[in-house]
Amino acid sequence: MSEFRLPFIPKFEQSERIKVLEERNAKLGTDGSRQMGTYGDHHCWLDIGPFPRPEEIPSHKEGLKMTAEQWGKDYRFMLENTPPAIYPCETIVGEIYWEMAHFRPAGSGAWRKYPVAEEIAPLVEESERLGASPAAYGHTCPDVEILLNEGFDNLLARVRKSLALYEKLGNARKVSYLKGLEDVALGCIHYIENYAALAEKLASETDDENEKARFEKIALASSNVAHKAPSTFYEAVQTIQYAILFDRAVGHGNGYGRMDLWLQPYYDRDTDAGILTREEARETIAEMYMKLRGQFFSFAGRDENGNDATNEMSYIALEAYDLIGDYNNLGVMWHEDIDPDYYAYACDVLARHGESIPVLVNYDTMYASELRSGIPHEDAWKVVYSGCQWFCIPGKEWCGQDSNLTNLLRPFERAMDKAVEEDVQDFETLYSLYEKEFHATMKAFQAAEGAIDRVRGESQPEMFTSLISHGPIERGMDMDAPRGVDYQYTSLNILGVPNVADSFTALKKLVFEEKRYTLKEVWDACRNDWKDSEVMRQRFLNQPKYGNGEEEPDEMVRRLSETTVEIAEGYYNQRGGQPMRPSLFAFMSHLEGRGSFGATPDGRHAGDQMAHGINPQAGVSKKGLIPMANSACAPDMRHFQGGSIQVDIQPRFFDGKEARYAYIRDFSSAFFKSGGQQINLHILDLKKLEDAMEHPEKPEYRNLVVRVTGYCARFITMSREYQEDFISRMNYASMN
Amino acid sequence: MKPETLLTIDVSHGTTHDGPGMRTTVFVKGCPLRCAWCQNPESIPVINGVWWDKTLCIGCGSCKEACPQSAIAFGEKGILIDREKCTSCLSCADACPATAMSAIGKAYDADTLFKELMKDQRYYAEFGGGVTFSGGEPLLQAAFLAPFFERLHSAGITTALDTCGLAPKEALLSLLPHTDYLLYDMKLFENEIHKRFTGQYNDRIKENLLLAASEMRRNGSPKEIWIRTPLIPGATATVENIRAIGKFLKENLDDVVTRWELCAFNAACKSKYDKLERDWAFAACSLMTRRDVTPLRSAAEETFGKEKLIVTGMIKPE
Repeated sequence: MSEFRLPFIPKFEQSERIKVLEERNAKLGTDGSRQMGTYGDHHCWLDIGPFPRPEEIPSHKEGLKMTAEQWGKDYRFMLENTPPAIYPCETIVGEIYWEMAHFRPAGSGAWRKYPVAEEIAPLVEESERLGASPAAYGHTCPDVEILLNEGFDNLLARVRKSLALYEKLGNARKVSYLKGLEDVALGCIHYIENYAALAEKLASETDDENEKARFEKIALASSNVAHKAPSTFYEAVQTIQYAILFDRAVGHGNGYGRMDLWLQPYYDRDTDAGILTREEARETIAEMYMKLRGQFFSFAGRDENGNDATNEMSYIALEAYDLIGDYNNLGVMWHEDIDPDYYAYACDVLARHGESIPVLVNYDTMYASELRSGIPHEDAWKVVYSGCQWFCIPGKEWCGQDSNLTNLLRPFERAMDKAVEEDVQDFETLYSLYEKEFHATMKAFQAAEGAIDRVRGESQPEMFTSLISHGPIERGMDMDAPRGVDYQYTSLNILGVPNVADSFTALKKLVFEEKRYTLKEVWDACRNDWKDSEVMRQRFLNQPKYGNGEEEPDEMVRRLSETTVEIAEGYYNQRGGQPMRPSLFAFMSHLEGRGSFGATPDGRHAGDQMAHGINPQAGVSKKGLIPMANSACAPDMRHFQGGSIQVDIQPRFFDGKEARYAYIRDFSSAFFKSGGQQINLHILDLKKLEDAMEHPEKPEYRNLVVRVTGYCARFITMSREYQEDFISRMNYASMN
Repeated sequence: MKPETLLTIDVSHGTTHDGPGMRTTVFVKGCPLRCAWCQNPESIPVINGVWWDKTLCIGCGSCKEACPQSAIAFGEKGILIDREKCTSCLSCADACPATAMSAIGKAYDADTLFKELMKDQRYYAEFGGGVTFSGGEPLLQAAFLAPFFERLHSAGITTALDTCGLAPKEALLSLLPHTDYLLYDMKLFENEIHKRFTGQYNDRIKENLLLAASEMRRNGSPKEIWIRTPLIPGATATVENIRAIGKFLKENLDDVVTRWELCAFNAACKSKYDKLERDWAFAACSLMTRRDVTPLRSAAEETFGKEKLIVTGMIKPE
């Protein structure tokens, strides 16, 4: 009999202190106190009740204004009124209880709450009608290293210098933005000082030697890093914790970059000086992981000269997860020259925990994709994995990664309508009608996205992220406003490539080559959801499908994805006129939007789910993992802004096998060498998941963590629909 | 003349038990044995045919209409194929929209098969795997396979031949120069029992194994010989049989055999017999338990030794 997960052999013993912290944080995650939302990588505030004095919030007092200045004021007010709290055993502190969405319009739809909505909404409606939703936010990556190098006082001085310049030059918009940014910096400083003061007070009140030392340690670090750059490893980790907290208090999730690269010098210094051990470093990072959860960090990859960047901290940062397990979003960036011991360890962690942590991503395709977009090597090598399947250059790239959605089924439906009307007799004419319709979708999207671009910097600014990025302070523009940072193409999440491609493959063969049916017969049947046409549906359903490593359907996916890139790249945003850039990923929209889509000639019924990003349509991949993985390499991933495959393996796959990690290592290496981009891999028993749906109260399910798409979530807190989708995915009891 | 196609029943990607590493296994159609426990009954006939999967059937009757021999009828349990009348023309399979009626076999020409196998090249490289030919009995189509093995070798792909051993020695000799791993079945040692359960005597099987061993000693090809013994309750799974095989291996082949695998039986292939509308004596046979397997393992260890022995397959704890 297989275990629920594989028998878990911990590599590191938890100290008593870590056990206490682990217990508390796991409890917060499951009893509803830690508000993670449906998606565990954005929200993370702790519920202690509503904000005490909402009437005093600046925008509530003076009336809501769509300005960054007022945004900054609200943010500062929130931070300054967040009570500090230091919990038992912890040395890494900081917590958030509210986020900006509680204070004022936030997130990708913030513009709707302002008068500009009148002008923008019709454009957005038209774009959505044609299949593309322009909502966007999050999953960029600030450059946390700026804060580590400069400290808050220096950032504040830079903001004030820039503010003075634009005041002198009479640029009111930039002045307003920088006043807001000044408040953001002041709010952060105040927040950290509150922690320093509380720690000092607690230190003076206790007689316990150990507790006094703990509080003094916190007090010293916080009073230092409230103003200056951190000078020790411990201070650096505390600074990163504060930075992530300030960033996520906005209400979104971002990537936070290559922690192994920044922390290594602090670690070297402290261990040389004899004030830090590897074990202490591991525990300190583990503490940070436990605080907010869901941070996207990236490890390994290459350095500026193209050499392997793996260092001791790459190991320690993974060991920290290995120590505690549970919920996180760490990514290991594979490349052909990666330290083989490190990659083996990463696969071992993945095999032992079975929770899809770390995510395995291909550094070389990300780097190539950044170069292809015109980003020069001196920035491109810094690329990091920054969320679900996205990546970006820390502090230099804002692409509106999350939430936007382009569904190819819409232009496909219109192309089919036209083709039937025009009595199209050959496949290439149908395909060019589709291309025309996708142009129409992109044109509407460009108009809507452009209208939002013009107000994004004021309606949904990302001000803390901007504070520690390259450009916003000196340019007086938010990173999501035009030219706030250098790289601002628009990321497009594409849904439906496998469905439309499989439809094309089937139509090409059955209608245009074999002439078994006319296009009209097929489309009428689809419009009637295949009613009384089961024989026809079966024939379409049983045509060769993407996901089996077969040439014909895979070639169609490749062609369609290239068409998507070629057309999309011809449309530009209003942030410096940078092009649209598709990613082959669609979050959970393969479920959420399905109700409004009719049946399709791939044999799909109306209302059925669509293919999940670049994964094959559920149920059509029949030849096993390797053919599926070969299919997933059909699109040239260097042309996209990411795209992941889900690999869910049953524990019994490993029955009787030694060195389980080796299977993951060898499989992923071959996949990456074939051009694959990202693997989210689970080892889970489906029967137990089904039981967990029915009996979420059982204690063994409390900390059951699964990777939903690119982010992790606790299975029992997911909605039933998401749970069912997770279970219905392809999973493998063997590799074949 | 070299045959143009290879008749197969399946090409299985990512197998991890038919030789080292991760492999693609080609199951060849046609077998000279009639093992009572056969796990791939559809592989036995050397000619193609159809079978019917009731779980996929939508009952549209397209197959019945398409059959030029009127060999298809609707019965109480579903579709009945009159195997006497069927000429394996495959018209019904072509007509079926749901793939419920399908051809058992698929013929590959060398180029198509080569291309199919090369798709997994990177996986072979990472895992130290390659291609395995199994069956059915690959040696029945040795004329196709001999040049094909050579072609795989020149492309740097390692080869494994999984054989029951019953074939003309020329067939075996034609493949060995380009075989890296010879996976050789030793099912039953005693000749009469072998005949009773498989329909054939095993003299030639033993002779061919000794021949392969001498080839390996002479010129290093195959590189390794793996012996496989299926543990079939009531047939091969007796202490006497395992002891006799172990003794034979130890006395004659200890220097060339790198591994002896005892593979526990399972009845997972029952649905194949259903699709062929055939009964199967082993359908209700449950998984072996640790208690069943332990004495067999001991018998193997005592006669052959521990180091090169492995026991695989699904085994219940008790």
